[in-house]
Amino acid sequence: MRSSRRSPPKEAATRTYVARRLAIAALTLLGMSVIIFVLLRLAPGNMVDILFSTGGYVSESDKQSIMKELGIDRPVWIQYVDWLREILTGNLGKSYRYDLPAWEIIKPLLPVTIELAILSTIIAVLLGVPTGVISAVRQDTTLDYALRVFSLAGLSMPSFWLGMVIILVLVGWLGWIPPMTYVSPTENLKIHLVQFLLPALAVGYRSSALITRITRSALLEVMREDYIRTAWAKGQSGWIVIWRHALKNAMLPVITVIGIEFAFLIGGLVVTETVFNLPGVARFLVEAVLWRDYPVVQNLVMFIAIVVILSNLFVDMLYGWLDPRVRYGD
Amino acid sequence: MARFRSLALVAGLALLGVAAVTLVPAIGQAPKYGGMLNVMQREDPPQGFSIHETSTISTVWPGMPCLSNLVIFDPLKKQESMDTIIGELAEKWSWQDNYRNLVFFLRKGVKWHDGQPFTSKDVKYTFDMVREAKEAPAKLRINPRKDWYSNVDNIEAPEPHTVVFHLKRPQPSLLMMLASGYSPVYAAHVPVANYRTGCIGTGPFKLKEWKRGEYIDFVKNTDYFVKGRPYLDGMRYVPIKDRATKFAAMQAGRLDVSFPGDESRTIAEQVTKAEPRIKLTIAAQNVNDNMLLNVTKPPFDNVKVRRAISLAIDRRGAVQAVHQGGGIVGASLAPRPHGVWGLLEKDLAQLPGYGKAQEDKAKAKKLLAEAGFGPSNPLRIEMVTRAIPIYLDLSSFIIPELKQVGVEATLRQIETAQWHPLVTRREYQAGPNLTGIGPDDPDANFYENYACGSPRNYTYYCDEQVMKLIDQQSQELDPKKRLQMVMNIQKKLEEDAARPMIDWRLLYNLQWNYVRNLVPHQSIYNWGRMQEVWLDK
Repeated sequence: MRSSRRSPPKEAATRTYVARRLAIAALTLLGMSVIIFVLLRLAPGNMVDILFSTGGYVSESDKQSIMKELGIDRPVWIQYVDWLREILTGNLGKSYRYDLPAWEIIKPLLPVTIELAILSTIIAVLLGVPTGVISAVRQDTTLDYALRVFSLAGLSMPSFWLGMVIILVLVGWLGWIPPMTYVSPTENLKIHLVQFLLPALAVGYRSSALITRITRSALLEVMREDYIRTAWAKGQSGWIVIWRHALKNAMLPVITVIGIEFAFLIGGLVVTETVFNLPGVARFLVEAVLWRDYPVVQNLVMFIAIVVILSNLFVDMLYGWLDPRVRYGD
Repeated sequence: MARFRSLALVAGLALLGVAAVTLVPAIGQAPKYGGMLNVMQREDPPQGFSIHETSTISTVWPGMPCLSNLVIFDPLKKQESMDTIIGELAEKWSWQDNYRNLVFFLRKGVKWHDGQPFTSKDVKYTFDMVREAKEAPAKLRINPRKDWYSNVDNIEAPEPHTVVFHLKRPQPSLLMMLASGYSPVYAAHVPVANYRTGCIGTGPFKLKEWKRGEYIDFVKNTDYFVKGRPYLDGMRYVPIKDRATKFAAMQAGRLDVSFPGDESRTIAEQVTKAEPRIKLTIAAQNVNDNMLLNVTKPPFDNVKVRRAISLAIDRRGAVQAVHQGGGIVGASLAPRPHGVWGLLEKDLAQLPGYGKAQEDKAKAKKLLAEAGFGPSNPLRIEMVTRAIPIYLDLSSFIIPELKQVGVEATLRQIETAQWHPLVTRREYQAGPNLTGIGPDDPDANFYENYACGSPRNYTYYCDEQVMKLIDQQSQELDPKKRLQMVMNIQKKLEEDAARPMIDWRLLYNLQWNYVRNLVPHQSIYNWGRMQEVWLDK
């Protein structure tokens, strides 16, 4: 009865909080759009220079006419306003490099990167949280030291290096590596999983190391709290105390790290996607930057920014669920 | 009688056995139809399949199977020359009016991949567009090889299956340039921009799908004008950026053929050692490492200084240090035995920088002293180069070489986007560089890289006497005389240090042992048609 009376204001507060966050997100995106737009144009050369470099010469008159054709001869602020207008109308412009609508280029990249990021995050959580918990519970034992070495190794090894080692070990020992062209799950689920699991393992291991360390330190801190001591004193089973009382409260920083890691993975898988030849966002983004393919770069960066903002928002919403003391209206 | 029968039976079986043993290899070599070839690709092709708009093998390699030339170098012959040119869209050709008119008699019944008939109008359309004729109905966005056709006065299409190239002066090499992978015929009814996203050709393979960043799929053109070709059902070109991944894919059998020019000697040897069923073919690339010296500005407007730089660089050392032995020394045309026009070893040894390293370095110091540079007044230069490994490796070798003769060189790395604008605007002193040439031919090379006013003559070396010699060799009809003239020009260019050659890269081509009839030539730009390739599986 009491809770039903209190619910509407709480829901309203949450709605207000989300609305405020979304408004801030919109402003952040606007700021991002200016930064990426300006930075791209500060980089030396443009798409036309790259085109001419494939021809091995430069003709100033032809260069001007191609710049006109692409619309990059206009004042920068006009190009910027046009881009914003295009985004609002759902038109992402045309890729300079491929002469195709940018959305046609970007669309197939998204599921690849999102799937790889999700799989990597799942692996990281499945590996990182339990090892962190065990490490904390068995603090200063041989097992703790072993797990800490394992996680330190994960932090020290770049995921692309691990990916490369996986490829070389597979080819050296089995004479086999996953397919070099993307296989969709509808085409062949088994091959698809193999194709994604290997890079996800390489990436997930590195992320799991961070999660292990955060889980361990957060859990150790919580386990020194009075209410945990009380639970122990009440004679509750060790694992119930850890999983039900300690871990739930220790999860806030862990969730933050997972959120940050996931957001990072959306744009940070460049080398892993390159090593495993997966047609994802990050690999394409680097290519597009090298080609000064402004429409593709701008829109991909905006997509990454949106994912970062939304994942942060999601993490913040999770706080309220995990810790009832968190009040969104405050 | 019974004994006789047994003897006859034994003899008969023996004969059959002998016949079987001798015939099996022949049968084994008979081409087989079918199969998919998985081909390594370095990147998505810049400018799609519009070969006329690029100068990179990344476009030529996947573009060639879809398109056809008037003539082409015989895909099965390793060394390209005038003698290995065969007809493609042209059934035959004839030089007329003392090599002033080149008449092509075109094949009949040839269809574009969209079903439209191929005619002489397509040929006229293509080459009028490339040479930027006034009457050209279309314009290329980027046109790197306009100069190849500067001697063409007019192209006439008198009837649907005859086309005549009218030349300003005799030029036998025109045929060599037309035989290059860089010279396909485009369809007049297809807007040129469409070649950047797709491919309507008359070649042995039709473009099925180009999934950006993933693959380029081709299927057999069942209407191909060469009867019985191609052998393959299709091909998939897979762009892989990472070098270790692409060769792991080759070793694991995900790819059947390597990308021309991507294989270093070390990698190729490692792969064949790990997987002996992969065969290694050493050929040439027609790509050279050279040193750009801006002759329009001091100190390189002084031939003595240029020659000193050339003398300072130990070519043989470069081959070992930069290419781990995977290169050969030569002047401005591809060296023998791969190339046709290269200087003889004895002639090469006489040129600055091609003799004994220490002696050449001593000569370099002397020349620098004559030009006013020495220990108290060292020559200080800034080198620029593209910030990519193949350029940087070369630069890293050259800087200490120059230091040994007292030249203090610094290196400025610049992005690809800035490289050509910078060299075109002459805003550099010196720069290690790579140059790829379509056909192994003096006209293609000299007019592109050494002719006054050519957009790819990055050093701005311009010598009237040399231009005259280039024009003379171009119209010389006697092959022996022409060879001698070409050799003299090469010597002159090296003596003038117009663009000192450092080495010529070798090709370490990898193919699985079941791939047949894919024969690397001495230029990577001309053997990608694939119509003769079959799989012995």
